[in-house]
Amino acid sequence: MKECLRRHRDLVQSLAVLGLIFSLAAVCSPRDWRTGGPLFLQADNLTNLLRVTTPVAMVALGMTLVILTGGIDLSVGSTLGLAAVVAALALAKWRWGGAAAIATAITVGGLVGLLNGALVALLRVPPFIITLASMIGIRGLARSWCNNENIGLRTAGDAAVRFVDTWSQKPFMIGLFAGLALLVAALLRGTVFGRYVRALGDNPTAAVYAGLPIKRVQLAVYGLTGLLAGLAGVLTAARTNTGNPNDGIAAELDVIAVVVMGGTALTGGRGGIAGTVIGALIVGILANILGLRNVDANSQLMLKAGIIVLAVVLQQRRAAR
Amino acid sequence: MTAPTAPSPPPLLRARNLLKQYDGVRALRGVDIEIRAGEVHALLGENGAGKSTLGKILAGAVPATAGTLEVDGREIRVRHPGDAQRQGIAMIFQELDLFPNLTVAENIALRNPALAEGFRVRRDRLHAFCRPFLERVGLPVDSATRLGDLHLGHQQLVAIARALSRSARLIVFDEATSALTEELVANLFRVIRDLRAAGVACIYVSHKMDEIFRICDRITVLRDGGFVATVDAAATNPDELVRLMIGHEVNTGQRARSHATETAVLEVANLTTTLVRDVSFKLHRGEVLGLAGLVGSGRGEIGRALFGLAPVLGGRLHKGGREVRPRTPRAAMAAGFGLVPRDRRREGLMMGMRVRDNANLAIMGRLSVAGVLRPGREAAAADRMATATRLKAGSPHTAVRTLSGGNQQKTLLGRWLQREPDVLFLDDPTRGVDVGAKEDIYQLIAEQAARGAGIMLVSSELPELLRCCDRILVLNQGRVAGLVDARTATAESLLRQATASGAPGEGSL
Repeated sequence: MKECLRRHRDLVQSLAVLGLIFSLAAVCSPRDWRTGGPLFLQADNLTNLLRVTTPVAMVALGMTLVILTGGIDLSVGSTLGLAAVVAALALAKWRWGGAAAIATAITVGGLVGLLNGALVALLRVPPFIITLASMIGIRGLARSWCNNENIGLRTAGDAAVRFVDTWSQKPFMIGLFAGLALLVAALLRGTVFGRYVRALGDNPTAAVYAGLPIKRVQLAVYGLTGLLAGLAGVLTAARTNTGNPNDGIAAELDVIAVVVMGGTALTGGRGGIAGTVIGALIVGILANILGLRNVDANSQLMLKAGIIVLAVVLQQRRAAR
Repeated sequence: MTAPTAPSPPPLLRARNLLKQYDGVRALRGVDIEIRAGEVHALLGENGAGKSTLGKILAGAVPATAGTLEVDGREIRVRHPGDAQRQGIAMIFQELDLFPNLTVAENIALRNPALAEGFRVRRDRLHAFCRPFLERVGLPVDSATRLGDLHLGHQQLVAIARALSRSARLIVFDEATSALTEELVANLFRVIRDLRAAGVACIYVSHKMDEIFRICDRITVLRDGGFVATVDAAATNPDELVRLMIGHEVNTGQRARSHATETAVLEVANLTTTLVRDVSFKLHRGEVLGLAGLVGSGRGEIGRALFGLAPVLGGRLHKGGREVRPRTPRAAMAAGFGLVPRDRRREGLMMGMRVRDNANLAIMGRLSVAGVLRPGREAAAADRMATATRLKAGSPHTAVRTLSGGNQQKTLLGRWLQREPDVLFLDDPTRGVDVGAKEDIYQLIAEQAARGAGIMLVSSELPELLRCCDRILVLNQGRVAGLVDARTATAESLLRQATASGAPGEGSL
């Protein structure tokens, strides 16, 4: 037990921080005017919090793997927007069924990811540059495919309405995220692929000498992240009833912040999915409580900045020990 | 030690009761030591004995958990490497703390107040400033050369020149020769003797017995983080020191039994890369073939070429009679090659990962079903590996970063031994490894040969080659300078072939 605690010290610490923030949020929360209980703790609020956090958290699962390999993916926000547009176009303009539209949108996300991965693996250009380029280019693609217009889904026929009704439900979104988080965690912990992901990020030179299939690993992590960004785009379209080409602007930064808050090192090799889930919850709770207290959006950004710096400083303290 | 009758001047450096704790592990427990001006003082001990830690504390590179440091009899407080620098203490690290993208001169003069005017660096004075220090260390390069273009031995001399330029009175050398060839070692020792003659004290952290007797005046032996003894080099001998280091006698220098057969496992014909030319040789099953040569002779390049890490410009490889040309490490591994690289921290191990995961990294296919790892198989493989290599690690879940050099090397060897390659290339596997682990590694090499593997062994230590190998291929400037029987060769004859100038190769075989 003690040995187990020591080995997972980082995780225990993150959990402690999560608990602390949760308690603080409960204490600082405005009260319900009827019952006097904190609004923050009401079931409706908590599930709302989870639902709002889901798209970013979902992409963060893939981003965790990318960052563990020592890479980064700046294009996820644009990919999310593109997938939202594709899903909405398919439903509203082309009148496809729900399943086909969703599958296509997610596939498009996956293809963007594979393209990123292929360029990173074959051109040997830093992932930052490659995905910066695709962040710009994919956003342009999303906007041109829908002529810079939002595509409404509420009035777009039965399939679209059914899609929105199913995919925007809280239990569905939360359940989907939980399932994916478990899946990716198992992938990282229990498979050869997961071991290679860590090894590559821990020491890329040694990974070459050990004969690891580096290109395939890179292809896979960027591809998976693209798929998850596509899925997040579909969820966003459902939640907002729209395919908006500007969905997910700056989302890549929120995603990276979540991963970093979860204790995954940007230098690669160190971190994991449990941390990322905790990081997502911390970010979600903060946004929620600030919203409940009517802190204005700009102040929220400034607070968020401070919290990110604080989290990274704490993480470096750990790494130094 | 007898008490002096008259008040003698205080020693240059005195440490009392130094204690160092890392993560709950005691690296040093109450060590006292005195360093006199103008002496070369060895810190000797097995890996994990605390000699590097002590060296780093004395140089101010890491703070002690408790204890005091006195320079010239006055207590100093070291919180930052700069504090020690101001006291005239410098350290030459095993992993050099230089800037590869700056020039030699910039590396030496960086932050030197003599060359700064406000924020401006006087570039015009830079080279004139550096020249005398480069001359003192015998470094024949232009000070405008980019540091990264020099090889490791020369980079080390730049680090020494930098220490001299800061008027160092005490220089700590941490495993200074681990990456050097005999020739560069000789040069380094000449520099150290000059320093000693000029009154500079040197602390020499090492476990190479012969070097310590060549260069050191006094020797402090450490064991398990504790002080054992300080002795005069003139009044002791290697056997006594080994006894002090490990507490019992070891068998040194027993020649390994040969397992060589007549069946060739690898034939290399006219191998040519950017660093080697027309290298040809045969490697037999069960044979240990040594590769001797200076740094830059191409001895490591042969392994990289076999492993698809260096582009092959010409020549043929036949393995077991079939022509092969691996273009990637993966292809080489599939063809039955294994390579233990020279720099285990940079090229070998995933330092943040566990012992088990490092050792099993190259046999993942065997430990999984459809890509899903089987924990039982992982644990069994790690156990077998630990037993076979006599690995001393707390548990298979220990981070490899926390192990001693010897145990790190065993983990890396374990990774390749588990694959049972037909041809195993070992690039200086005992570099920076303590005496006990060295013996274990020799044993492992012999076991692999007995299994029928063909082994190529690169080493900077000629006695090691003479002891472990059946034949030794001597390389000189990228060409084969000779192929000799290890039973009849001597260190002198090998060194002569490896250093002979002119056009070696064709005629001298």
